This record gives sequence, C-alpha cells and structure tokens, in this order.
Amino acid sequence: MAAACGRLLEQAGVRALARASAARPAARCRCFSSSGLLRANNGEPTKFQPPPKPVVVDKHKEVAERRFLSPEFIPPRGRTNPLKFYIERTDMIRRRKVLNIPEFYVGSILSVTTADPYASDKTSRFVGICIQRGGKGLGATFVLRNIVEGQGVEFCYELYNPRIREIKVLKLEKRLDDNLMYLRDALPEYSTFDVNMKPVPHSANDEIPVNQLKVKMKPRPWTKRWERPKFNIQGIHFELPKEMMEEAQKWSMPWIQFDMLREYNTSKLEKEIWKEVNEELKK
Amino acid sequence: MPGWGQLLCRAGGRLLAGVPGGPVQGAGAAAATGNRGPWCSIVRHINSTTWWDEHLSEENTQFLKQVTAEEYRAQTASKLCPLKDEPWPLHSWEPGSRRVGLVAIKLGMIPLWTKNGERHAVTLLQVKDCHVLKYTPKEEYNGKTATLIVGGKHSSPFYKPESALEVFREAGVPPKQKTTIFKVSDNAIIKPGTPLYAAHFRPGQFVDVTAKTIGKGFQGVMKRWGFKGQPASHGQTKTHRRPGAISNTNAGKVFRGTKMPGKMGNVYRTAFGLKVWRINTKNNIIYVNGSVPGHKNCLVKVRDTNLPTYRDCNKNPPFPTFFADGEEELPEDLYDQEVFQFTDPSVTYV
Amino acid sequence: MEWLVTRISMAFLSRRLGLLLTQVNRVVEQRHFSISGACSAIQKLTRVRVVDNSALGNTPYHRPPKCIHVYNKTGVGKVGDKILLAIKGEKKKALIVGHRMPGPCMTPRFDSNNVVLIEDNGNPTGTRIKTPIPLILRKREGEFSKVLAIAQHLV
Repeated sequence: MAAACGRLLEQAGVRALARASAARPAARCRCFSSSGLLRANNGEPTKFQPPPKPVVVDKHKEVAERRFLSPEFIPPRGRTNPLKFYIERTDMIRRRKVLNIPEFYVGSILSVTTADPYASDKTSRFVGICIQRGGKGLGATFVLRNIVEGQGVEFCYELYNPRIREIKVLKLEKRLDDNLMYLRDALPEYSTFDVNMKPVPHSANDEIPVNQLKVKMKPRPWTKRWERPKFNIQGIHFELPKEMMEEAQKWSMPWIQFDMLREYNTSKLEKEIWKEVNEELKK
Repeated sequence: MPGWGQLLCRAGGRLLAGVPGGPVQGAGAAAATGNRGPWCSIVRHINSTTWWDEHLSEENTQFLKQVTAEEYRAQTASKLCPLKDEPWPLHSWEPGSRRVGLVAIKLGMIPLWTKNGERHAVTLLQVKDCHVLKYTPKEEYNGKTATLIVGGKHSSPFYKPESALEVFREAGVPPKQKTTIFKVSDNAIIKPGTPLYAAHFRPGQFVDVTAKTIGKGFQGVMKRWGFKGQPASHGQTKTHRRPGAISNTNAGKVFRGTKMPGKMGNVYRTAFGLKVWRINTKNNIIYVNGSVPGHKNCLVKVRDTNLPTYRDCNKNPPFPTFFADGEEELPEDLYDQEVFQFTDPSVTYV
Repeated sequence: MEWLVTRISMAFLSRRLGLLLTQVNRVVEQRHFSISGACSAIQKLTRVRVVDNSALGNTPYHRPPKCIHVYNKTGVGKVGDKILLAIKGEKKKALIVGHRMPGPCMTPRFDSNNVVLIEDNGNPTGTRIKTPIPLILRKREGEFSKVLAIAQHLV
C-alpha cells in the first residue's frame, strides 16, 4: 500500500511539474499572440480574439493536491463481478457522507468513539496507534493498540460499522512498515500513548511525515520470527547475534520479485475509483 | 426469429462468392473446403468434435456474433416494454399457493448491519435476464402440479444443438445458460416470455437457495465425511487417514451407502430459510442472509421457502410475480425494517 | 583487617546478589503470563495470569497457574466463561476476563490471558482489579456483578 501511495504521490508530483511547465509556454504564447494581434490590426480587420488568460500557478496549491484513496476502495484481484464492488462503493460513500472518515495510515494515532450499550454513558473512547488495516469494501477494518494500566489492549474496529460515532486522527504519520503487528513483541513503551493526547495539527498541504523510529524488542521468542525476510521489517532495531540474522536469510525468496503473476498493478483502477468517489462525495 | 442456421448459410454464401476470385494457392485446405460448399454437402459419419465457425472466415464469425447480439438485444427490449398481448389472467394470493422462483447469479458476500448495531453476513444474488420460458400444465407434467421453466443469464446460441434452442425460440427469448423447473400452483402461472425481477421477492420474507456446491474432486474419507483417521504415531504403519473397517464378518458384504472416499462437492444443495434483507430494484440484487452453496458467479435457484416456520412471513407477496410495467412504483432500494441504512446517522443506545 | 575485607566482599556480594535478583524478578514479571502463542484461546493446560489482588494469585510460586477445566460445552474458554485453575497446588475456580485470541470485532483483545479468581458461589476472591476488563461482561451483569464492582477500569 505504501508503495502504491508513493506511486500516487510521485504521479501527483509529476503532474504538478507538467502543469508548471505547461503554464510557462502559455505565458510565452500570450506575448506571441498579442504581437500577432497587432499585425492583424495593421492588415485586414479580423475577428477579435481575446488573449489567452494567464495561468497563475500557485505552487503551494499544487503540492496540496494530494490524492488519497482509502485502501478499502481498491478491489482485490479475482474473478468477482465488478458490479459487486460498485454496489459496495455506493454504500461506503453513503456512510462517508454521514460520518467523516479521515485519511489515516498504519502508524497514525487515532481516537475512536463508539456507541456501546454496556458503557456507563453509552459511548466508549479508545486511543491508540493503528497497527494494521485490513479488509476490502464494506468489511474494512483497522486495529488500534495501546497499553492501558500496563496491559496491552487492542481493538479491531470496522470502518463502516454504524456503531462508530467518531474517528479522529490525533497524529497523522506513517511508519517504516505497512504492518506494525511486531509492536506486540516490542517493549511496551513503544505502544504506550496518552489517552488525553492533544491532536497534533497537520496542514492538508504537507507531505505525510514518516516516523523513522526503530523499536527495540522484548527477548525472544516472539509471536512471529520478525527477522525473516518475508516480513521485510524495517522498523525493528534487531539485537540478535549475527549468525541468527544470517540464518534468517535462508528463507529469503529472491525469485519472487521476478514472478510477474504476483504483480497487481492498481494504479489505473485507483485513478478511476478516486475520480468516481470524489465526485460522489462532493455531491 | 430467423434461426441462426439461416444466418450461417447466408454467411457461407458470402464466403463462397469471395473465394473463386482470390488466389487459391495460399491456404489450399481452406480454399478447398470453401469450394466444396460450406454446409449441406459435408457429411460426417464419425461424431468427431467440431466447432461452429470451423468453415467461416474471421469477419463472417464477427458478423454472425454481431447480428445475433443485436437480435437478442431487440428481443429482450421487446419483452421489457409493456407486453403487447395481454398477460394471462391474474389471480390474487391465497394461503397454499406457490409462486415461481428466480434464477440468479451469486456475486459474493458483504456485511450488513441492523439498527441495533448487530452485524450479519449477506450474499448478493443478482437476477440477470431471467425469463419464464415454458408452461407445462398439470396433465402433461405429473398430474399433480403445473410447472414453469425459468431461465437465466444469456448465453451463446452457437454451442447449443438446435433441439435445445427450441424452447427459447418458442418463448421468444435469447438462449439461457441455466434453466430450472418450478412447481407452481394453478393460480400462479405466468405467460412464457415474461421477465422476472428481483422485486419478485420482498425484504423480510424467507427463501430457499439451491445451487451446485464447489467441486472438491476425489477426496478421502476424512475430508469427505469427517472421519477421525488414525493417530500419527504409536506404531501406525501407512495408516493415518484411512477409513478403517467398512463392514463386519457377519454381514459378509459392504452395505450400500457406506461412507467411502470419492468425488466430493459439485452436487446440488439447498440452503433453507434464508431471510431477504434488502432488494436493489435498479440492479436487481437480492441480499440474502448467510451463505449460499456454490462458488462466485455461479447460477443459483431462488424460491419462496416452504418451511412451516416462515409461512407467516411469506404472506401476500407480489402475485404471481412483479411486473415492471405495473402500477407499482418501487424505490431503488427496499430494506427490511431492521436494516441500518447508511444514510441514517450512527447508531446510539439510550 | 581480614574481617574487614571479608565484610566488604560480603557486602559486595550481597549487593550484586540483590541486583541479580531484581533482574531475575523483572524477567519473571515479563514472563509471568502465558507465552504460548499457538493456542490463544483458553483450554486445558493454558497458563493464565491472575489479575486481581488476591493473596493466592499474587504470591510467587514456581509453577504458573494453569487451566485444568473449562466449564462450557466446547472446552474452549472465552470472555465470561468459568474455568478451574491449578494454582499453587490447589484447585480454584476463576472467571476469564480477557484473552489473547481476538474475539468479535469492536471488542478488546488483550496481550495476556487474564482471569479473576472466584469462590464457588461466584464472589471474587480479591478486592480490586487493576487491569482493564472488557465491557462485554456487562451483558451478563447478573452473574458477574460482584466482579464488575471491584473492577476499576473497563474498556
């Protein structure tokens, strides 16, 4: 997903560049055409042509155009009829019009307020770091993790569950990995967040900051062997002996990157869906 | 409807006309068959495999495909608009009458929430090109019930024998991929050619869904019948997933129906008593509670459930079916009372 | 002179021993609860963590408390199920108040298998529960009202 986002951002950047370069010739064109207009006036009278409007490129604004498409909008590959995804999308858009589901990533800190029939004031609030986003379509989920009273607690929320009252991003950032399940095996201070945390302001124009934090782990055994290449974890500061790290490389499968059947290029699909969703949401 | 055989003849004629002018030396075999005349003179004694465009050029194939597609579109369109001749006399619903069902396509599953925040998994069934094909009166069927044949999802006519296409031609609809028989009561009969829609069912009622389960191939006894197998260790020699004894000495035979390894799946199964949560009338989609046999995109048969528990829920349905040109104007989505609609605000508890 | 040296060395030793002991203690604290990852729901012989402040559950013992029976039909204990514990060589009933296995969506998942010791009549043995307790237990308020009453933090 991060790769896809990166690609998107890159494209946005390229587009911005293209626009800027397109604007400059336009300005040049204007002076050419005005001279042409003069000449025409000297010769035979022609129909008045208004000079092309100068295109003002606000560089600040160009950067702001960050296309964000929530990952659950991208359908999984398979032979399912696209109509199914379209129908799901309409429902998702309907829900998004009622509830503001903000842009967030794995690694962002969120607070979620849900309606709970068993809570004292019928609502419960939980603050934590998003460690995983899963599911496609209406069944999309995200997992929040925090340490409450020395006890690791995780919540798996459904994004489109009507019980969700509010989703608030307290800190918008990314981590080095797309899945932070290793925080379960990391030292508890890395997944401890203050419940009364103040939201960190983040302007819509900025790039999403990537937190370069490398966590330290509890002593082994872990729930998964995170040092194995299949997880490709960047965000762990491994303190394992050198032999163990070399041993883990035995499970690397370098041929996988050449497997063309595994590729699933969604960039085109993403663009279409983004357009559709944005138009619908603006209505 | 001109049969596609005629069309083929026409195309063949064009081919024949085209060949003599052209150079013959290139594709000798193709030219030879062309010269021999396409259709009538070929006599096949051996029933070998053949394909319909064996002796057609590329463009003729395209032409035929295009023509048939257009024709089918015209046919379905003609059925959509108000029926030219009157439908058969309509009767009102009374307890004990059985309606016709539908043929639908299984799209997949999604979650659905009720107003009290509970989550249910639902299956989407799309009703696509579903038409009544044939009415068989009581006397001709078995003397007890009348039946209606219903087909769903258009298919190509080129791979079907002429005899199979007859029923579609009589009904005046394109050939279907799947046809099923529904037993109906005498007051619920519908004229062949009538299109059926998802609004035939209404939210809150209960249905049975029949389909072919996913084929698993030849499977052992543990997977097929859930036998326990034998332990992994403790002196087992080559006996871990075997059935064990299949009979005893006194019987001296293996009883019929003994559970043994064999082909698993790919048989018709019915899921009974599934609630209809929601109907999308625009795309003709039925939201049915829970799972349904079969793989994605398979064709399923949906009918009113006959379980006595749900008899009260299935009262006063659109009878004998929902007519698109009727007086009833339906909104795009029909919901059950309990379903949470996404345009509503979030659920709160008091 | 000599006794002084021995005394100093003794003091050194004892200090080092104390340090070592605290380290060991910390490791024990980390390893106090179940580390079995494969079977995350509570079944027979699952090591559990007692989260109330009862004397029985908090005094150290060389063997962790283990589940030896689950009082339900499936034999797999989830939140709200009662189990029988083997704790310090005794048999004691307990109530599951959280487990590592993820339950249904929108319910908490904990990093350890938490139980609260209860008497045979359902009253909790301890007087206080510090760790968070799932709210879903309120669904069966009648049975667990006394356990919920001593809980300090509900999520």
